[in-house]
Amino acid sequence: MRQRLTLAAAIGSAALIALAGCGSSTNSSSSSGSTTLVFFGADYGTGPANSTTKYWDAIASAFHKANPGITVTVQTVNWTDFPNKVQTLVQNKQFPDILEGDTAPQFAQSQLLYKDSAVLSPSVLANMMPTFLKDGQYQGTDYGIPFTTSTRALYYNKKIFAAAGISSPPQTWAQLQSDAAAIKAKGYIGYGMPLGSEEAQAEALLWFLGNGGGYVNSGGNYTINSAQNVQALQFMSRLAKAGDTQPSPGTTDRKDVWAQFAQGRIGMVLGSPAVIPIIQAAGVLKPSDYSTANVPGHRAPLASTLGVHDDIVAFNTGGHQAAIKKFLDFVYQDKYQLQFDNEYDLLPATQSAAAAMAKNSMFAAFLKNIPQSVNYPSKTSWTTVENQIKTTLGQAITGNPQTILNAIQQTAAKGG
Amino acid sequence: MPEVAAAEEAAGEQHRRAASPPRPQRAGRARRTRRRLEPLAWLAPATILIAVVVIWPIVALVQTSMQNITPIGVTIGSAGARNFTKLFHDPNLPGILARTVLWVVAVVGITMLISLGLAQLFNQRFPGRRITRWALIAPWAASVMMTALIFRWMLQPDNGAINIFLHQLGIVHQFNSNESSWLGRPDSAMAWMIGVAVFVSLPFTTYTLLAGLQTIPGELFEAARVDGASRWRSYRSITLPLLRPAFVVAVVINVMNVFNSFPIIWEMTRGGPGYATNTTTVFMYNLKQSYIGEAAAMSVVNFGLIIVIVLIYLRVNNWNRQDAR
Repeated sequence: MRQRLTLAAAIGSAALIALAGCGSSTNSSSSSGSTTLVFFGADYGTGPANSTTKYWDAIASAFHKANPGITVTVQTVNWTDFPNKVQTLVQNKQFPDILEGDTAPQFAQSQLLYKDSAVLSPSVLANMMPTFLKDGQYQGTDYGIPFTTSTRALYYNKKIFAAAGISSPPQTWAQLQSDAAAIKAKGYIGYGMPLGSEEAQAEALLWFLGNGGGYVNSGGNYTINSAQNVQALQFMSRLAKAGDTQPSPGTTDRKDVWAQFAQGRIGMVLGSPAVIPIIQAAGVLKPSDYSTANVPGHRAPLASTLGVHDDIVAFNTGGHQAAIKKFLDFVYQDKYQLQFDNEYDLLPATQSAAAAMAKNSMFAAFLKNIPQSVNYPSKTSWTTVENQIKTTLGQAITGNPQTILNAIQQTAAKGG
Repeated sequence: MPEVAAAEEAAGEQHRRAASPPRPQRAGRARRTRRRLEPLAWLAPATILIAVVVIWPIVALVQTSMQNITPIGVTIGSAGARNFTKLFHDPNLPGILARTVLWVVAVVGITMLISLGLAQLFNQRFPGRRITRWALIAPWAASVMMTALIFRWMLQPDNGAINIFLHQLGIVHQFNSNESSWLGRPDSAMAWMIGVAVFVSLPFTTYTLLAGLQTIPGELFEAARVDGASRWRSYRSITLPLLRPAFVVAVVINVMNVFNSFPIIWEMTRGGPGYATNTTTVFMYNLKQSYIGEAAAMSVVNFGLIIVIVLIYLRVNNWNRQDAR
């Protein structure tokens, strides 16, 4: 009897361990007319209080009320861990039905996605801003649905400008340099140049564009080591070496210079509308203490600035096309677009929401830049190229810009 | 044991030969089989645990290192040894390997030296010893990531606490300059990170050595004093040799910890600028962003290096035991 007991105990505990070892399957189930959609998205919040999960949960429950047959489960992950988490989900074939935050071409290349027209009603699709829509294309078909967008401008601290005797924001690189030097002489940091791994690709592109350069030419081919780009980095390097920027731009992250700008320690930074909540949270600068202007270029301000967009993609792996379409049509109502952008100070992706938002003067300057904005290359190799830019481009400030850009171009030419 | 098994085997054979064995005999056979299988049932939980938690990840790791995986995580097919060749041809790898050795040797070396002194100090009787012993636990109790973050803030070039202090001492002349940007320059960044790693390794090492010191009988020192040995002499000839077991354990555990250490470097420099402050562990993580297969290959290499360290440990441990005999 005792033997049998111990045997049972041993087998029982073994079974428990085995269960614990493989208790993580999150497949969506659809049975007897009820469908469960799995939504996975990036978290734009700064903590539990303004987590993006709340935003999506509210939409999901409103949607469930209108469509009792469809339940949407929501999960969001902060931006730092987001790429990793998506990699893991894909690698383990635990595909969500809807993914918000990533660009589409690579998923489309692996044939994991529904095309836009399969999961959006024609009227909703027609309402998307065309600049961003064409960016989610793979081989001529739209796969990425822009969800939230932003453009970049120059933020400058009016108080510091006044103290340094500068009357208007710089338009050219030369003006930016002399202004930065004047600001530095007053004990502040002249220009905040974040070339650290967080977002080096944005700062660099804004300088490249100012010199007529960029990541790709009009034919869509990579031109990362172009003479214009090298020159731009050489100028940035001179600026840093003269001490007109914060020290070590190559290891400074965007969030650091944005925070320092909000603290009133930096005269000028390039930023998106997302700088505004940071300024408000810091409580140092009043709205009248700072303003935005077009990004300075080599000889004239940028005609087209950087536009960034985060996309929604719909996975075909779960086979829930009809349910996804219902949900996405519901999501892209103006009220939800505006709610998101007010919460996180970003810009909408639909034309009607943008029109509604243009009434807000704070955002108007950023919104008017959208139509002629330049986006990151929409190529399947971009993720790899971007990662290399993030890691290595910062070294161009102390090292040789040509060598570093050549290495990145080499990766790009290989296709990642 | 083999004889018993053989006997049972023979008994089983007999049963099988009998045309229709009577019932009681069959029951006896079943009991014997059960008894034979019983150890398996006892071993099963641990075996399954090891298989699931230890062996399976290793198998998966090696598998991944030989697959061709896109940056978003889609497995395209087999890559053979290509991930490894790519890794070994990476121009950054030699520097990273050399830096990893420097990192481990410097952190463990400095930690051991300081800990020897600290352990000696804490082994003395002095007022407040209990409090100072407790205080030493603090760097150990705090999360390594938090410690690294706090150091990064203290080293902030604009108004970090350490920079303000060094400014008052006249060592840092200007804020927001190259000299105040400790983590922006690879050399000074490595030096500070080694410092932080030593700081968090001290408590464990000191306590291990302190435990070792407390096992040394006091009579030995008395006898040495009677013989007229100097303090230095008795430290060299009594303390150090008798401390060796504790010392070896501390060194090996520290080597493995420091080799695998990720949060300090990741939080303070992300391995930057470029790859200039990467160790192999950080490099593996950096690779993973674009090249999952190659990152797995780096992991396999790291795993191999750890195995080598463990083998050396077993060797040394053996040597210790023989010595004790």
